[in-house]
Amino acid sequence: MRFFQRTGIREFWRVAVIAAAWLAIGQSGFAGAKAERSPWEDSIVTVEVTRRQYDFIQPWTQRNETYKKQGVVLGPNQILTTADYLNDLSLARLQKNGRGPWVGATLAWIDYHADLAVLTTTNAEFWRGLKTVSLADPAPTAGSLQIMRWRNGNLENRKGEIARLAVRRSRLSFIEHLTLEVDSEINGAGWSEAVTIGGKLAGLTTSQDGNNCLAIPAPFIKFAVQGATSNPRRQMGFFDFVWQKAENPATLAQLKLTGEPRGVIIIDKASGADKSGLLKPKDILLQIEGFKIDTDGNYTDPNYGQLLLENLSTRGKYAGDKVRLTLWRDGQQLEVAYPLPRAEYNVEMVPEEVFDQAPEYLVAGGLVFEPLSEPFLRSWGAEWKRKAPFRLTYFDQEKPSEERPARVLLTIVLPDPFNLGYQDYRFLPVDKVNGKIISRMPDLVAAFQQPQNGYHHLEFGPGESVRTMILEAASTEAATRRVMEKYGVPKEKVINQP
Amino acid sequence: MFRRLFFGLLLTCAAVAGAEPEKSVVRITTFTQQPVFDAPWRFESVRRASGSGFVIRGKRILTNAHVVSWARQLVVYRYQDPRPYLARPIFIGHDCDLAVLEVENPDFFEGMEALEIGELPKVRSTVVTYGYPAGGEQISYTKGVVSRVEVQAYAHIGNRAFLAVQTDAAINPGNSGGPVIQDDKVAGVAFQGMSGLENAGFFIPQPVIQHFLRDVEDGKLDGIPELGLRLVALQNQTYRKFLGLPDNDLGARVDYLYPELSAAKVLRPDDVLLQAGAYPIASDCTIIYQGNRVNVSAAFGEYQRGEAMPLKLWRQGRETNVSVTFGSKRLDQAEGNQYVLPRYYIFGGLVFTPLSLDYLRSFGANWADATSAELRYELFFRRMETPDKARPEPIVLATILSHDVNANFSIRGRALIDSINGIRIEKMEDVVRAFESSTNAQDAIEFVTQHNLECLNHAEAKAANAGILSNNNIKQDRRL
Repeated sequence: MRFFQRTGIREFWRVAVIAAAWLAIGQSGFAGAKAERSPWEDSIVTVEVTRRQYDFIQPWTQRNETYKKQGVVLGPNQILTTADYLNDLSLARLQKNGRGPWVGATLAWIDYHADLAVLTTTNAEFWRGLKTVSLADPAPTAGSLQIMRWRNGNLENRKGEIARLAVRRSRLSFIEHLTLEVDSEINGAGWSEAVTIGGKLAGLTTSQDGNNCLAIPAPFIKFAVQGATSNPRRQMGFFDFVWQKAENPATLAQLKLTGEPRGVIIIDKASGADKSGLLKPKDILLQIEGFKIDTDGNYTDPNYGQLLLENLSTRGKYAGDKVRLTLWRDGQQLEVAYPLPRAEYNVEMVPEEVFDQAPEYLVAGGLVFEPLSEPFLRSWGAEWKRKAPFRLTYFDQEKPSEERPARVLLTIVLPDPFNLGYQDYRFLPVDKVNGKIISRMPDLVAAFQQPQNGYHHLEFGPGESVRTMILEAASTEAATRRVMEKYGVPKEKVINQP
Repeated sequence: MFRRLFFGLLLTCAAVAGAEPEKSVVRITTFTQQPVFDAPWRFESVRRASGSGFVIRGKRILTNAHVVSWARQLVVYRYQDPRPYLARPIFIGHDCDLAVLEVENPDFFEGMEALEIGELPKVRSTVVTYGYPAGGEQISYTKGVVSRVEVQAYAHIGNRAFLAVQTDAAINPGNSGGPVIQDDKVAGVAFQGMSGLENAGFFIPQPVIQHFLRDVEDGKLDGIPELGLRLVALQNQTYRKFLGLPDNDLGARVDYLYPELSAAKVLRPDDVLLQAGAYPIASDCTIIYQGNRVNVSAAFGEYQRGEAMPLKLWRQGRETNVSVTFGSKRLDQAEGNQYVLPRYYIFGGLVFTPLSLDYLRSFGANWADATSAELRYELFFRRMETPDKARPEPIVLATILSHDVNANFSIRGRALIDSINGIRIEKMEDVVRAFESSTNAQDAIEFVTQHNLECLNHAEAKAANAGILSNNNIKQDRRL
């Protein structure tokens, strides 16, 4: 993990742009219509997913949205696709040949950090005639390839040129892995279109920006599939440290590095996931698994040349595996076996994603509490980092601590005579309730069960517009019921156990 | 909706305390030059602007602070007199946006009479603005009614709010500093408008003017002191019951106390202020002030530094009387708008300057997008949330003057300094001390942001300093 500056992953505009482009294609047809049957027609299928979308300002409300994307036959009873848009799934269907009947499907597994999933169906007829793809491993590094997808019953086949192989953040996660960058005239890609070369699958697309498409390359797919299908299952890991380039000779001299400038300087933890204590600020990271790290943070990969060191966190290593790091500390070289921390969204103060669960909330006397998360902040739209309240967005810069691993907010107040005088307060980070520090929703539930002398004492941060509120404990429940009835809130709370 | 200052074009005239106030109103032309906060030895190009003012007792001119801020030259003109007179500010109250000028040539005041400061005008009463707004060279008059009297944010300093009067009399750019007249007396000083509102201008009323004039009577400007508390409405019945308060509309709750200011010595969180001086305080934090319901801060604004205000409050189930002595105004270097030349220090091409709102605003209207979240947090939240980690004067590496000695820095500026050579940087003097007392081969600079570390070869940087300054036309390596 380099500087741990996340860019919003799931830009809302992307859907609109891609949908518009898709529509345009559908109306105008496309070049490259098949002249004869392509063998890929037996390996690429259409995936239709319907998922629940939540309104995080009114977390008890939801709507369904349906998307179409592509998948490939990974093996018997396995359709591989990207994990994007498969979260909070309510219905999945598969269609082969670009037309004909849809069959119901279920998730065999999904790895959001790797952005990959496998669907399956018990419909035996569906599998008939389908052929498993073979993966291009190692990934091609130059030359032409094809991007394929089903459109209006035809397999669209667009030419692409490999721009480069680089290490990038996963589309749905902070982990970084090998990524295939392809230049192509295709429009609206990024929906798991198959990228093929020489009859093999080179990757699955994840996004498109102009003529540049990003794809998960086959070697990483192979690695993720192996992890997901292992017993026990292997999870993605990541380097839980922030580094800076070591281009400044004076800084290296300060750190007593002798010889040629090399390595990068570890300056901080990225989150709180690494509990090993093996790394210290101002360590110079010289080698990873024997690969020398240069002052820009690159190593020379035997297959792909210069790559960022983060690739070594997802190159054959899973969470929990030991990675051999060569460090320079206090004028001495040393080696440590760094256990790769597991990539989990909740290692961050503000989780980047909250998948496959309804938003947590609690209504108490009309006061609505929710955990702070990026999905919540995205309620302010694609530019939430600029538009959401600054203090809330700044939590995204903070690292979790033992005492405060996450934050809970008073998001809104549903007006009621009980809370008269509090109605205008909103988006306040909760500090304590009834003297108990509140980090997660279960803390809040527990704290509300322990009123003090008949009152609930709510405390917010000193930088907020109000520090304290008092609720009468005995009448809170009745007020909650009244508010739920008045505002159509179906449940008093939704709390997910960690 | 935001407030804008009506400066940039002209105003004011004089009048005998009779029927010709325009003769006491003067036009002020200013030539201003602001420093470049990001390159604090430099200045922006000289700008010409104009505003208004009026003669007050003691052969002085009263105008807005924002009219004369950063002025390199002030020229004042009498009513229908083309002759320019040089003037200079003797007091600038940035918090209340008022300034007093004196004119070098005493002949300027010949035949002019001071305008008398009147009373706070009644709502719906008529007022006339006098000034030199855009659209012409001669004095302009606009008539309107007093729409309302309230506590409003003062746009010039940006982080203070005082009593202000809204009128539908046109107040346009250039009117700033000019008098608003009622019954031949000054009802206020025109000073700002509000985007999005039509036919709405604002003037500084008599209580604020008098506070300012009384403040400077001793030849020293203290500014409008702050109690240093956050008072919030107390209208939730449960909260009132919890505090044992009667079920009425009296009393506002002390929610937060700024540790370094006066109120913290006397008040406690959850004290309920019932009365400030002679003003009963309502549960929505308002008082009745000369017939207007306004925020209680209008009552606080009647006191000068060092004066004591009696407070009646509710504490632990009973009424208590205390007295709060107003101390100095808020120590708000970190909040900017100090209108003083920025401090800086340059070593090895690294330019250090204090973090301030002025510094951030120097990046333009969208400064929030041009600066890191860490800088904004440090400025606006740090002192309240983690006062033990707050620095009296946070210092930023503003920019780097390129040279071989610093060419390999990966951070090029706009970054908050944590420490230099192990010395925690709390103020600019720490930076100077850290470099000038260094005996290290390298100077190690650690940043707050991401804890980056960058180093300079001390001897090489020291040797290069003079050349760097010379190459960049910088006369001094510091302004402390």
